[in-house]
Amino acid sequence: MADSNTSGAAGPVMRVTKALDAGLHTLEKLILKWAIIIISVMTFGNVIYRTLTGASWHFAEEVSELSIIVATFFGISYAARKGRHISMSAFFDLAPYKVKKFLSIFNPFLTAVILFVVAYFAVQYTYGVYESGRTTAALQFPYWLMVVSIPIGLVLGGIQFLRNMWINIVNKEIYLAQEKKDYNEQ
Amino acid sequence: GNDDGNNEEVNNGGADNNDAADNNMNNDADNDEDNDADNNDGDDAEAVDVEPQELRFVVEETQGQVQHVYAEEFAERVSDRTDGAIDIDVFEFGELGSEVDQVEQLTDGIVEFAIISPGFTGTLVPEGNIFALQFLFGDDQQINQDILNESEAINEHLAANYEDQGIKPLSFWTEGAMQWTSNDVQLTEPEDFEGFQMRTQESPLILRSYEAYGANPTAMSWGELYTGLQQGAVDGQENPIFFIADAAFNEVQDYMTISNHNMYVTMTTVNPEFYDGLDDETRGVIDDVVEEMREVGFDIQEQQNSDFLSDIEDDDENPTEIYELDEDERDQFRELAEEVRDFYREEEGDDAEMILDMLEEEIEEHYDGDVD
Amino acid sequence: MLWTLIGVMVFLLALGLPMMIPLITGPLILLLFFDVGPDPWIMVQQMREGISSYVLIAVPLFIFAADIMTSGRTSQKLLDFIGAFVGHLRGGYAITTAAACTLFGSISGSTQATVVAIGKPMRQRLLKAGYKDSSAIALIINSSDVALLIPPSIGMIIYALVAQGASVGDLFIAGIGPGVLIFLFFAVYAFIYAKIHNIPLAEKPSWSERGRLTVQALMPLGFPIIIIGGIYGGIFTPTEAAGVSVLYALILEVFIFRSIHLKQIPDIALSSGIVTSAVFILVASGQAFSWVISFARIPRQLTDAVLPEDPTALTVLVIVALFFFVGCMFVDPIVVILILTPIFYDPAIQAGVDPIHLGVVIVFQAALGSATPPFGVDIFTASAVFNKSYLDVIRGTPPFIVMLLIVAVLVIVFEEISLFLLWMF
Ligand code: NA
Ligand code: NA
Repeated sequence: MADSNTSGAAGPVMRVTKALDAGLHTLEKLILKWAIIIISVMTFGNVIYRTLTGASWHFAEEVSELSIIVATFFGISYAARKGRHISMSAFFDLAPYKVKKFLSIFNPFLTAVILFVVAYFAVQYTYGVYESGRTTAALQFPYWLMVVSIPIGLVLGGIQFLRNMWINIVNKEIYLAQEKKDYNEQ
Repeated sequence: GNDDGNNEEVNNGGADNNDAADNNMNNDADNDEDNDADNNDGDDAEAVDVEPQELRFVVEETQGQVQHVYAEEFAERVSDRTDGAIDIDVFEFGELGSEVDQVEQLTDGIVEFAIISPGFTGTLVPEGNIFALQFLFGDDQQINQDILNESEAINEHLAANYEDQGIKPLSFWTEGAMQWTSNDVQLTEPEDFEGFQMRTQESPLILRSYEAYGANPTAMSWGELYTGLQQGAVDGQENPIFFIADAAFNEVQDYMTISNHNMYVTMTTVNPEFYDGLDDETRGVIDDVVEEMREVGFDIQEQQNSDFLSDIEDDDENPTEIYELDEDERDQFRELAEEVRDFYREEEGDDAEMILDMLEEEIEEHYDGDVD
Repeated sequence: MLWTLIGVMVFLLALGLPMMIPLITGPLILLLFFDVGPDPWIMVQQMREGISSYVLIAVPLFIFAADIMTSGRTSQKLLDFIGAFVGHLRGGYAITTAAACTLFGSISGSTQATVVAIGKPMRQRLLKAGYKDSSAIALIINSSDVALLIPPSIGMIIYALVAQGASVGDLFIAGIGPGVLIFLFFAVYAFIYAKIHNIPLAEKPSWSERGRLTVQALMPLGFPIIIIGGIYGGIFTPTEAAGVSVLYALILEVFIFRSIHLKQIPDIALSSGIVTSAVFILVASGQAFSWVISFARIPRQLTDAVLPEDPTALTVLVIVALFFFVGCMFVDPIVVILILTPIFYDPAIQAGVDPIHLGVVIVFQAALGSATPPFGVDIFTASAVFNKSYLDVIRGTPPFIVMLLIVAVLVIVFEEISLFLLWMF
């Protein structure tokens, strides 16, 4: 794992960080997996239920919407970890090593900054929704639960991009992400 | 200034310059009759001199539909009265997001005005679901609009619920009676709903209303509704006539029942801080135009609903059989719908019971007055 | 303001930043540093809004179904079957891809879902048959465009709601002509390509071999039958069809073929989840972007500037086509249709354009723009699904763009292509 390069001294701080990271990694995977499975079950389950009984699962759409929001925003950091975010990399791919090295540090840094800025506004938005007391239509659960994953996902995403930056600072090779080297170096 | 050049038509509406700034709903409604007879001696008397402002007005419908026509007319009248100083930019549906997004934008002051339907804010102001109750109002739309104009239950108590959420309703108005469309069966009595897949908006109260008739209500987004009706995933839906024709649902439905089971009620709203911060002259202009638009808005929807009804009737390629419920048939449904009123009283907010009791009385008064 | 926006976005894009960053940063700068008005939290509201459309749920579901079928044996059996009948023909696999995308597009209504469901298994086949990867991917992306034209088309439904006076049923029929025309162009191209590149002809299998492969493929062949039958039989909606296809894939692979153990399903879901997230964060950012430019009235300023006084029908159509083409290179086609249609509709009708024809031109351009670099959403989808760099994905697209542009010109100039089926009824 690429991680091993970054952790010279295995002090207690490092160990806690690593445990946290492992926990987060597991959580991200769990959320992405189950979001997709839940959306599937909600959609075909509703069809089956309706065919058999004539009535519908009125909660199906809401649960699917929640799953999509959670998966999209928790997915930011997971996709950042795996280098799966979509970018127009034409110039980057063609650039000489020095430019590439600079961009491999600058790009994740700027991305992290932007994500933190948006996260700040996402907190405002979520708080506004919380204050309004609005609920969802079918299940009538508080709507802020629907959107609270947005600020959390953005912050986690920002942190992951900072780590993508760090790995390029401490290593000579170019990493597209913490767990993905440049295409030329694979 | 106003460069549209078609002021004549605008000014011919039933406008007068009653001092609506410090208005009282009941008084204005009483003046309605006079307004009709009144030929525009009022609004182009002199333009009010106010501070120039650019304002935004967002609606839940697209160009040409009732709300958008209303908002454009509203903007034009405000502009005329202020000699162009107040410029209201109308955003149609889709430009600024969903209906619920628009509510958040209004309460934050990102837009100053919005047309907001209680149906889209039922999770914020559950008392507003009162307009989803079926066969609560009678089927004379003019009387119903009078009730909306004058009702204390609505304009004071229900309006207060919205103000608690940062939405100030300026007027409640109808976009027309809701009708049923269907395939396979003409919906004329409750038995016809047995096992019927009815598409509704997602709201426990609406779902319950159709369950009361024995139907299987299903929520479906409008993006899928045309195809859903065409291919039979759902059998029918409810909407005002102008919307049915505009979305071309009649192309994929065999029957339409003029059920008038309730009205599509909507609200002209304003951001309260913006409104309270206005100087007296400006607020006076806004209030005047809101009053004028009660009548004008009613005419817009009446015109559209009757024109589109003819369109549906005359569409030989997609024939639609139209049936109008008589009073006995309406009573059959009303009887079954009564229990949903209890659900409303118990489930739809602290003030629901009080508001419904008061409104029921008001409706009775209006209709009794009419019968005599 | 407009040029600041464009400049910032193009610059950030060129640096190779994740695509969501230019889409977020451009409008964010307008909100923070220009006097546009609203609080920036509005961008978060709209990011949420962008991914909240129920119709979009079909995208992860078709991705998931396709992932299950590609991990198991379904697509293998299905493609063996197709190969037994057309593999030996000149350009046979490419023609099959185009046909399969057209067919699947007519089921799903989503270009992105088509890229996934047909593209993923078909790409392997094309590579094996000797096609270059860049050509294979380009063929898949561009054939998937047809999904927006062939009924049921989500794009047509959205257009009909915004544009009064255009019936959905008529639009559906009017989309068929241009959709088939694209398919014909691609089929001819595939034939010529195979000839020029000397793609080796596969051996023509015997009829008994064909029979065996057909029997093997019977269950997978049920997939389109169930989907199409279910939708047209009124059992489920197109979005729900995506869910049913997941169920069908699960039943086939886990219980009938036993090629996948139930325990493996979550890991397959994870790979579908990461693709979904990478695509949906762009849909979310695109919605925030489009909200801010709508609010700042940038689209309207643009059209006021570009439309001449009393334009002819053709002038309006060309300008409309350009705007939708460019818009859909940047933003999701559905969003572009919602924003731009109302702006162009009245001037177009006044200039004498048939509303149905206008709808077809608009949806066609939307489809074309979504497969066109630099931004097209189908390119992102392909990049995520095939785990290929952006450049690799777009390398093979130029010939297809040229063909689509030719069809676009034909569709704009000859309204008969859209309307003849309507006239026949
Ligand atoms: Na009909
Ligand atoms: Na389609």
